Formats: sequence, structure tokens, C-alpha cells
Amino acid sequence: MADPTVPPETIVGPTSAPDDVLRVEHIAKRFGPVTALRDVNVHLRKGEVLGLLGDNGAGKSTLIKIICGFQKQDSGEMFLHGRPYAPKSVDDARSQGIDTVYQDLALIDELSVYHNLALRREKVHRPIPFLANGQMKQDARAALDEIGINIPRIDVAVARLSGGQRQAIAVARTVNSKADILLLDEPLAAMGAKEGSMILDLVARLKQEGRVSIIMILHNYVHVLEACDRVSMIQDGVIALDKPTAETSVEELTEIVVNEYRRARLAAHEGQAPAA
Amino acid sequence: MASATGGPISPEGPAPAAGRPADSRRASIPSRHDLLERALALREGSIIVVTLLVAIYFSVNTSSFLTSSNFKTLLPYFAPFAIMGAGVVFVMILGEIDLSIGATYLFAPFLFSKLATAGIPLVVSVIIALMACTLVGLVNGFFVAIVGISSFVATLGMLFGLEGLTLIITHGEPVATPGAEVTTTTHNVVHVVNGVHIVLRETELHISTFAKVFGAGTYSELIWALAIVIVLQLLLTFTRWGLYTVAVGSNKLGAAEAGVWVRLVMIRNFMLCATTAGLVGILEAVRATSVQPDPGGANEILFEAIAAAVIGGTVMTGGSGTVVGALIGALFLGILHDGLVLQGVNADYQLFYLGLAIILAMTVNVYVQRARRGTHSG
Repeated sequence: MADPTVPPETIVGPTSAPDDVLRVEHIAKRFGPVTALRDVNVHLRKGEVLGLLGDNGAGKSTLIKIICGFQKQDSGEMFLHGRPYAPKSVDDARSQGIDTVYQDLALIDELSVYHNLALRREKVHRPIPFLANGQMKQDARAALDEIGINIPRIDVAVARLSGGQRQAIAVARTVNSKADILLLDEPLAAMGAKEGSMILDLVARLKQEGRVSIIMILHNYVHVLEACDRVSMIQDGVIALDKPTAETSVEELTEIVVNEYRRARLAAHEGQAPAA
Repeated sequence: MASATGGPISPEGPAPAAGRPADSRRASIPSRHDLLERALALREGSIIVVTLLVAIYFSVNTSSFLTSSNFKTLLPYFAPFAIMGAGVVFVMILGEIDLSIGATYLFAPFLFSKLATAGIPLVVSVIIALMACTLVGLVNGFFVAIVGISSFVATLGMLFGLEGLTLIITHGEPVATPGAEVTTTTHNVVHVVNGVHIVLRETELHISTFAKVFGAGTYSELIWALAIVIVLQLLLTFTRWGLYTVAVGSNKLGAAEAGVWVRLVMIRNFMLCATTAGLVGILEAVRATSVQPDPGGANEILFEAIAAAVIGGTVMTGGSGTVVGALIGALFLGILHDGLVLQGVNADYQLFYLGLAIILAMTVNVYVQRARRGTHSG
């Protein structure tokens, strides 16, 4: 029994633009009995900042982890610069120009700031491959300066830094890579307003340069409208909305989420769990 | 990296140096106090202090502690544990444990003697036996990192299996270590006493160069221990191998997300650990000239090696540890063993006092650590 006040579920099919750097088509992923992604279609244009939205547990992070090579999809295909793209590992994805800031930051508490920044991109001496710590310190300092976040000491373990500083280091590590596609999974989550705005400024700066394309998961719709060119919203394992930010508003985005809650509540009232 | 339009924000002043105000206050005089503080800031700092205290205690209370002959007595009490501790540190930093190192220690010399008595040259036999130990580590690593069995259980299985295998291949019989035989030659030596020529028969003991290198030489085990500790500490501190070891031990998921090959890192550390245990087994067998298939003794070795690592500052939950610390930890245990003997403690009381001394010294260690942290946070 459909409620006329609740709009029916919409599914955005595969779309594309001529200048796409990345296309994700019909991606599905299950974890045992849980279907995280059913049929997800996303595309990313060159120089674009795409906001990926969705409820908690909607599968945003799963999608990011598939694109960055950390997990494999059950079905569906991806295309990088028009060519089939199936990363074998995080390293593989990175070598093809895709780098990620994870929700959990993937920082190593026991290692120093500069070792974290250099992790998997360490500089070593020749011929004995000892770590070139001096070089890595310089690089770390330069990377942090570029982001504009002040970390007084880069030789201390990251365990001793604040949440915002840690997040800044994770962002710096990714932005500083040679990647041309950046995936940012909630880059502002642990940040205060000051640090958060620095990261948003950084994203704006990168957008202006036009070299990199970015997929960013954000929760705050004001930030989304400010930072992103376009939004894709995941609901129930599919993309339910795909619009340029110029054509949407905080109200519309909120409305969609409210509807989702209505549908979920309705389904619960009918005595059945919401689909997937 | 492309230059940003916003431009880099230069750090205020020489940022890396502007750390602790305490430093700048007495920057003009690099005093001895600074050196002491820096030594204490090392992870091994407190155990070095405690070991020194124990050594001073025994030097004051016994007349023979500070003698070169006692130093030679002390060596076998600590060099083997320093080597095994150095290996197991690599597994423990991962937050894992290897309970099979005692079994590997026991197994290696028997395999070596089987090979050598079958006619394979001694050094080649050693190498093959060590490779077999590396394989044991590979199997451990496989079950822990790929299959996903907890390392405690996987290596406990390996402990029983390998000790059982050792009993099977030896039929429970002790074996004389090949190449370690002490040969004697007798020759007549002419002495001239008061113009009279007297001929006396004298016997001379000979050990082969092989035996001298692999454990029987007085300083052989010490040299092996120092060399291995230095190499492994360098590996841990200054190479990617060590960096990834700490990364995996500190945050396994994060390391994987950053692209570290977690399974490879784990497996190769288990291989390294098992190899050091096998080497110690062979060194000790050569030193003792024969070897007993005694699982109980092997398990005691296991605990002392792990104790050396833990006493030396390696955390059992993973993420941090040092190889040099394991050496100091082994030295601490060796000095305790040796000192109690020198003090003339009744053999029946020795283990009891050893136990008390370990707990007492570690209590002191905790307080030294706290004091040292205090100097830093303040």
C-alpha cells in the first residue's frame, strides 16, 4: 500500500559526460546477508568535485573502498579515462592515479607525522635502502605548509596529535600524492570549524587548478553546496539523485532524506524491514 | 606537487626545533644532564638503569662478579636469549606471539645432525637446517596471516607438532653434535729440569674451526648476538621492513588501507623469528657438543626469550618494541642467573629468588619509566 505523500524510489542509470575521468557502472556489493550496494552508477568529470551523500550505512564508504582498490565489487564495471579499470590493490589504484583519505584516516599512531605522510611512498637511500628520513621530513614539512595546517613538530608520533591535526595529515598525505583522482571519505569529520574551513579552502584551490577530480563524502549540506559541483545520493544501494549543486538546495536534499525516513517508518509499520 | 594558487604558508620560525621550551632554556650548555635525559628518553632507558643497578648490587656483594672469567660464564646465560629475543621482537611488534621458537630451537640441531651425518658438509647442513626453520616460520605466518588463526593457537600447534617430530626423528635419544667433537692429541714434551731432560706426555684439546665459529668459541655466541642485534635493530629502525612492521602492529587496517601488504609483512617476520630460533639451537648444540631431545627445556628457552623481549620494552599488544631492548632484557636475566649462583644461593632456592628478583626489578622499572615520562610531560 503506497502512501501518495511519499515519492517512489528513483534509480539513476548509467550517465556519462564526454570529459569523464571515471565511470562506475552497475556496481553491486554484498557482505554476507547485507547488500551494501545494489546497482550504483556514478561518473566523475575532469576537474569536478562530486559530493557523495547518503544515510549512515548507505554504502558510501563501500563505494569509495571499491574505487580505491581496497575491496572488490561482486558485479559491475569501472572505467578510468574510458578504459576498463579493475584495481588489484590499493597500490595498483594509486599507481593509476587514484588516492584516498579514509574515514578512519589509516594513520599509524606509533609512527611519526612524517613517516605517516610518506607511508608506502618512502624515500630510501641507495645502494643500501635505508630510509631517507631527512628527505622525508623536508617533504612532509612542504606538504603540510601547502595545506596550510600548522603542525609544530613532525617527528612526534601522530598518537599525540589532536583529531583535527590527524585528519589534516591524512588529507595532506593524499593531496600530496601524484594522484589525479582524490577520494575523500568525510574529510571534515573530526575537525573544528577553523581546520574544516582550511580543508574546504584547499578543495576549492584544487578545483581552481583543475588538475584533480574529487569524490567527497560529506554530511553537512551547507558544505556540500559550497564545495561540490554536483551531488550523487545513495539510497538503498542505488543512486537516487544525481544533480549539479546549482540546481539543488539544502531544502531539497533534506526533503529526500526526510522522505527516506518516512518510507522506512512506513515499512516498519507494515511489519516488514525496509528493502535491503 | 603542483604549486597551489593560495601559496604555501611558511611556518613560523624554524618550526621543527621550536619544540620544548626546556631545551631552548639551556641550549647554550649541552650539559651532562641533557645526555642523561636523552638516554632515559630511549625506550630501553629504564631497563638499562635497572640492569646497571642489578650489576652494581652483585659487584658489591660478591668478589667474583666483576671478573673476566665470570663474564665468560655469563655469556651463555644471555647471548642465546638475546638472539632469540631479537627475532621474536619482530613478531611481537605485530601484536602476535610465536610460541614455537622453543620447538624450532630444539628441532634445528637434530635436523642439522641428520644432514651432517648423512654426509652433507657441515656448513651446508647448517644452511639447510636454517632454511627448514625459515619454512617453519612460513607455515606459522601462513596460518596466522592467510588462514587467520590466532598466533597464540597456531604457534602452539606448531610447538607440539615440531617437538613431537623431533622426538620421532631422534627416538628420544640424545645426539652428539657433528663437527663439535673435541679431539685430543697427545705428544711428548721435553722439559729441562736442573739440566735433566724429562719427557712428559701432554694432551691438547682441539675444536674445529666450524665449532669455534658456530658456538663453541668462547666469544662466538656473543659475536653472533651482537651482530644479529645490530643488523635487526637497523632493519627495524631504518628500513621499510621495520616501518611496515610497526605500521601493521599499530594499526593493521590502516596499514592495509595505506597500501602496506599486511600479510607479507606478517609472514616474513614469522620467518625471521623462526630462523633466529633455529640458529640459536644449532649454536647451543655445538657449544654443548651434544643435544638432548628435551621439550621441557626447550619451552623454558621459549619463555626466557619472550621475557627478554618484554623486559626490554617490547609491548605485548604490539606497535612498539626494540631489538636492543631484547638484548638488555637478556643481559638482565643473565646477570640475575649468574649473580645468584655467585652469591652461593642454594640450588633449590635459585628459581624462587629469580622469580622474586624479576618482579622486584620490573617494579623498579615501572617507577623509573614513570619518572622519565614525568620529566617529559612537565
